[in-house]
Amino acid sequence: MITDVQNQQKQSSVSSLASESGNAGQGPGDRIPFWGRVSGRRGYQALVDFLFASERRQFALLAGIPFIWVLTQHLGPVLQMLYVSFLDAYPVAVGAQTHLTLKHYLLFFEESVYRMPFLRTMTYSFALTFATLVIVYPVAYFLARHVKRQNQLAFLLLLLIPFWVGEIVRTFAIMILLGNNGAVNLLLKSLGFIDRPIPFMYTGFSVSFGVIYLTSLYMLLPLYSALEKIPASYSEAASDLGAGAWTRFRRVTLPLSYEGVASGCTLVFLMSTGFYAAPVLLGGPSTTVFAETIAGFFHVAGDRWPTGAAFACILFLASLTITALFMKFMGRLSSRGRR
Amino acid sequence: MKPINTSRRKFLGTAAAASTVFAATPYIRTAYADTGEVNIWTYDSFVPESFRKQFEKDTGIKVNIRLVDDQGKQFNLLAAEAPNPTVDIVTVAGHRFLQFIDSELLAPMDSDRLSNWGNLNPIYTESDWATINGHKWGAPILSGAEILAYNTDLVSAEEARSWDVLFSEKYKQQTAYIIQDMMSIVMLYKGYDGNMVEYLDDPEKAAAIVAEARDFLIDKKDLVRKYYDGGAEIQQMFINQDIALGHAWNGPIAKLINDGFPVDMTIPKEGSYGFVYTLNIANNAPNADNAYTFLNALLASSEIGASMTSETGFISTYKDASQHLSDLEKKSTSFTDEELAGLKFFRAEANEMKYSLVDPAVEQIKAA
Amino acid sequence: MTGKTRILMSLIYAAFVVYVFVPLSMMVVMGFKDSKFIGFPIKSWTLDWYGRVFQDTEVMSVFGYSVLIAIGSTLVSLLIGTWIAVLLAGRKFFGRALIFSLTILPAVVPGIISAIAFRIYARLLGIEPGMMAVIWAHAVHNVPFVVLVIVARLSTMPTNYIEAARDLGADPLVAFTRVTLPYLRPAMIGAGIFCLLLSFDDFVRSYFLGGYQPTLPVLIFSKLRSGMSPEINAISTIVIVLTAVLGVWAERSMRRMNGASR
Repeated sequence: MITDVQNQQKQSSVSSLASESGNAGQGPGDRIPFWGRVSGRRGYQALVDFLFASERRQFALLAGIPFIWVLTQHLGPVLQMLYVSFLDAYPVAVGAQTHLTLKHYLLFFEESVYRMPFLRTMTYSFALTFATLVIVYPVAYFLARHVKRQNQLAFLLLLLIPFWVGEIVRTFAIMILLGNNGAVNLLLKSLGFIDRPIPFMYTGFSVSFGVIYLTSLYMLLPLYSALEKIPASYSEAASDLGAGAWTRFRRVTLPLSYEGVASGCTLVFLMSTGFYAAPVLLGGPSTTVFAETIAGFFHVAGDRWPTGAAFACILFLASLTITALFMKFMGRLSSRGRR
Repeated sequence: MKPINTSRRKFLGTAAAASTVFAATPYIRTAYADTGEVNIWTYDSFVPESFRKQFEKDTGIKVNIRLVDDQGKQFNLLAAEAPNPTVDIVTVAGHRFLQFIDSELLAPMDSDRLSNWGNLNPIYTESDWATINGHKWGAPILSGAEILAYNTDLVSAEEARSWDVLFSEKYKQQTAYIIQDMMSIVMLYKGYDGNMVEYLDDPEKAAAIVAEARDFLIDKKDLVRKYYDGGAEIQQMFINQDIALGHAWNGPIAKLINDGFPVDMTIPKEGSYGFVYTLNIANNAPNADNAYTFLNALLASSEIGASMTSETGFISTYKDASQHLSDLEKKSTSFTDEELAGLKFFRAEANEMKYSLVDPAVEQIKAA
Repeated sequence: MTGKTRILMSLIYAAFVVYVFVPLSMMVVMGFKDSKFIGFPIKSWTLDWYGRVFQDTEVMSVFGYSVLIAIGSTLVSLLIGTWIAVLLAGRKFFGRALIFSLTILPAVVPGIISAIAFRIYARLLGIEPGMMAVIWAHAVHNVPFVVLVIVARLSTMPTNYIEAARDLGADPLVAFTRVTLPYLRPAMIGAGIFCLLLSFDDFVRSYFLGGYQPTLPVLIFSKLRSGMSPEINAISTIVIVLTAVLGVWAERSMRRMNGASR
């Protein structure tokens, strides 16, 4: 008897799970839903009454795990890094005394050579984020609005295939595509467009090519999920009211996709400030980025960890500030759009 | 380098051994429990797979190899594990010793416990860099050199006799080098001691020399295509014809030569620097006794040394290893006496002063 | 939509597909090159690289290991990430901005630093290097990405959905599982794919927190030291085919599940 009930439960929990995927939030029809039965139980009711008795208790329940996780898992390692950035030597030799110092931070402001890679990183990240947005938006738009709903997942997964190849392998593939003796130059030569190969590699172009390749995915998914849920009827209505294609896009679609733009841009910006492999492998002598500078402190000599950590803190603070400003700006934009 | 060029027989053998180990893992665990294991961090194909198999069979000591790809990362990893590392044997380049020793990450090596120590060429075991604080710190296994590599279709052997060609207008935007290493070479090229040992008592002169080398490289910056880091990068640049010549380590170039690519290498007349990879025992190694057993077995025969050379492209430190190499392999890992006369080893004594000057200089060159 | 924009859009999509797939096809082609190095010209072809990979059980076991780590860390990230997102998207509370910035932290710390910090922190917590440590580091690193995606979706959810459910007598837990969660499903799938990719492609954290068993990127990095050989391309091609098969299988079984419940 008991096993019978359990079996039924299992079955219906599977079916309710499955049905959830189909229709958001509607009941699964004539069967007694799993949650319905569970919530009918007295023990469950008592538990719920206890847990959700007050707003405060509800909040504690909701916030408990996230607070603990964020404080111990996210903050812990970073505090460690922050601590190291103030030490005069690290790793600490056995028996040695360490002292706290600000010199690693001062180094950044005193030595102009470090400012250039920093500013370059910020400029690149801005430009590349914007470029990625411009390139990917139409793609996401096409996917969400012009592809039949049941085919959308397949079209999306198709675009994701190349990303299962590691970053390094992809980057080398780009090298043999863009090299002097690479596929593009060979093709152009055989078509008679050029006599001498065009030096694509080790320039700002090759870096952008590689970085946008990486970032486009992280822009595509948020944009797609934002665009996908805008009802087609909105823009039909606008069209009925006589709005042209551009106006419909600017006044209806774009404002409604601001959340996707915001989260996509945030992701891409944050990622591109930290990019290391692609700029190092594809860049030329004058495209050093800040992540490369930081990694240098950890690779070249062991006693420069604190400097590396301090520089990482600076980069971190800068990108966080910019992200916060950007989110604020987007928030204002989208609330104005809604009005 | 990689097993790619080695015989199919070896490859099949490896696969068979691997699958046996796989199937028999539970059994082997208990079997090994008596004699234990040895944990090694080393580069890909530095420890020949056939040797590893034979050693496990003969001694019952299980060999765990963790492949590393960079000296700095190895240092960071070891430093993060100190003072109680999980590793017994690490692979450090001779001129990086000091950094590891200063951080107390290595144990002095007792060469009396290695009866096969004498199979190594004394050029390496008795060299000036090999003894620090009155101790030996590692067993040299492979040696490399900073060389000038050039595409033989584009650059003549005559031109490649001097480092000058790397800075000539003729090959503008067709050169590449590792900038940190190039700093030392430029100092040598300008007639100074790139190890900076001579200037230990004269920091002002040292600073002036580094500044001169830095300004030279900044002046020549518009001629260079790429400051690179890894061997795979320079190989790819040659294949893609992005460069006609460049500075490199001999290992990666030897592999290109052995693959039939029209490239050759030389130690230019102004001279260059060499370095030696050594296997070292970690401080507080958990299985130090097994580590000595392993090292002694590794040094037992020059054939093992030859197999390391054919797989990595670096020069063997074993006496008579060249007897076991093919002609092409010999050619790609040897230099003329005249070339070798100009080769000096990197030394670590002045590293602290040297890198406190060179590291910022490198940043300045990149930022210029 | 007018026909013109539609054509323009599909052209852009096609161009993007080309952009994404040309380097990929380069990579696949080079896996058949009979040389120790990738690049043009290709003088002769061979299947030997594939032979090597299939006979080398190590590569396959490393692939399996990486998949396990990716799935394990993704499940943890999704659970925690969704939880944090629901908290952040809910009503305002004191310190919400602070919690939000803390949530984003792991995404902005440069890889090498976060890896070393994790390694030191792991020792503090007594976590041994190995599979669990890698899963843990990947999970923590990926949480911010989940949160960003889910918060974006939550912010568009009409509040009256939940109110309606509550009016109908659902307690907060039921309202969450029956209303919010289904609404979040597309975002969770997207975030899950992110996490799988990030974990599968991660090198530094896997390197610093792993034991003697390497993950795929760690193996490839160590092989790369001896040159970018077609063997690495063969491995990557096999990985693509395997993940594609896994993906199709997952999509099919999801559809079958949906179909069965109807």
